[in-house]
Amino acid sequence: MIINLIKRNLKLYFRDKTSVFFSLLGVFIIIGLYVIFLGDMMIGYITDEVGTYSGPLVTSWIMAGVISVTTITTCNGAFGIMVEDTALKKLRDFKVSPIKRWQLVLSYVISAMIVGTIMSSLTLILSELYIYIEGGSILSFSAMFKVLGLILLSVFSSSAFIFLIMSFIQSQNAFGTASSIIGTLIGFLMGIYIPIGNLPSGVQTMIKIFPLSHSGVLLRKVMINEVVDLEYLPEEFKILLGISYKVNGEFLSNMIHIAYLLVSGVVFYLLAIIVVSRKRSK
Amino acid sequence: MEKIIDVVNLHKSYGNVKAVKGIDFYVEKSSLFAFLGPNGAGKTTTINILSTLLTKDEGDVEISGIKLGGNEDAIRSSIGIVFQEGVLDPLLSVKENLETRGSFYKLSKQVLEERIKNALEVTGIENLASRRYGSLSGGQKRRTDIARALLHAPKILFLDEPTTGLDPQTRKNVWNTIMHLQKEENMTVFLTTHYMEEADMADYVVIIDNGEIVAKGTPSYLKDQFSKDVLKIKPINQKEFEQYIEKSNLSYEKQIDIYTIKLEHTLDSIKIINEIKDNIESFQVLNGTLDDAFINITGKEIRE
Repeated sequence: MIINLIKRNLKLYFRDKTSVFFSLLGVFIIIGLYVIFLGDMMIGYITDEVGTYSGPLVTSWIMAGVISVTTITTCNGAFGIMVEDTALKKLRDFKVSPIKRWQLVLSYVISAMIVGTIMSSLTLILSELYIYIEGGSILSFSAMFKVLGLILLSVFSSSAFIFLIMSFIQSQNAFGTASSIIGTLIGFLMGIYIPIGNLPSGVQTMIKIFPLSHSGVLLRKVMINEVVDLEYLPEEFKILLGISYKVNGEFLSNMIHIAYLLVSGVVFYLLAIIVVSRKRSK
Repeated sequence: MEKIIDVVNLHKSYGNVKAVKGIDFYVEKSSLFAFLGPNGAGKTTTINILSTLLTKDEGDVEISGIKLGGNEDAIRSSIGIVFQEGVLDPLLSVKENLETRGSFYKLSKQVLEERIKNALEVTGIENLASRRYGSLSGGQKRRTDIARALLHAPKILFLDEPTTGLDPQTRKNVWNTIMHLQKEENMTVFLTTHYMEEADMADYVVIIDNGEIVAKGTPSYLKDQFSKDVLKIKPINQKEFEQYIEKSNLSYEKQIDIYTIKLEHTLDSIKIINEIKDNIESFQVLNGTLDDAFINITGKEIRE
């Protein structure tokens, strides 16, 4: 029953070509910006620090950001189906059928996770292709494995965050607005449009609190480590690019990043479930 | 006779607005039951309560022997609902839609496969199975909606204004499908409608207005009770005719050159015609319609 619903949701997502396009819009904007000017600017900016590595490093840095953003925006697109079912009153057909509300909601969540995983893995493949064409080297097997793991973790956290936001949304208009806001803001919140070190410290703190930015950090660590051993990068440089977060004078360990993503994901899910079940009792 | 739906003293309010104010009625098994009323009368509220979408405030409802308010899933398995607006997915094919929705009923793969085939056949849309729902015409969509409602072989089929917004030819097709289900498949059909022609074909009609039942009975009973036969005459000499009518104290309405006289009894027409037969170019006697009955009962036109 849930499997059939998941199949339905996936078909609805992938057959709506415009919604697939729009759920990748944030990604296209980032890539576009870097191809046009931000990339060259950054390369010029860091050449003093890392010399010849700067080109591939910047590419990896961007792609890590792009993948982490993809997990968010595609989950967002997939949850559009949940909003549409509510807004277009399709929900009534499910309500008069002998299925449970939680089964339906679970199907939205799982579909969003599947969509997020497929789309970000696809983005990973495309970015590797891009890196390869640019003359860079492809991720090693073990790094690839780590990146895939991080994609799963990131999708878990993103779907939780998006699910919570979507649980408040009742109309397609509101969904469109929320999606554009998320699509635009996410580039800043993940520290991609502007490297986190160039932002005022208040904003830096905000980004560090924003759980999903931690998946960006982890992805950067893995992907940049393939270009140049992180050990050799100066600390200020890592802080500037958001390859590591320093909190209270200490660098956060990988374990803390992972734990933060997991815990915040669980909290978001719980909150979303509370919102969704409140709505039902009307 | 067996009551398949029994409603006693049903109440429902939205905040201060009383949508349904204590209604009683029952529906006989295998009958075609029409729920008639102007917009905002409480039709959809009632159908939503019966189909477990809304909870009632007060009253007792029993559907195919199960009390509403306890085992909703058992009721849900025994009813099929066709909503006013489509609830299927435009991007999925007819068959995919039916497969998804059919999976809610815990049927084995074979049984579901058979049910889908059967539902497509009954509604006459076998050749549309692989078309996307979104690409279908209004009538085809409506028939797909009906096919979806039939998947679990329900005992009762609820239809909320199933033919509204369809062109006359399509309306007739959809209507024939509904009649077929009731006559051949022995299904109980409960529908709300705007169309008098349709209510006229029902076994039993309940008219609801302002949340209250204002009349109920068979269509012929309602017509007898609440409408009058009329005599339409086209006179040769209008002046002479008007003088006669005034003299005999009859009320009339004039439309261009045709006069419509309301009759107490059909046979009264013979007397009138006899008295002025030299002044008649043509005439007809018409039975009261359900439309008239409706207007007389509610004081409103149905399509407001």
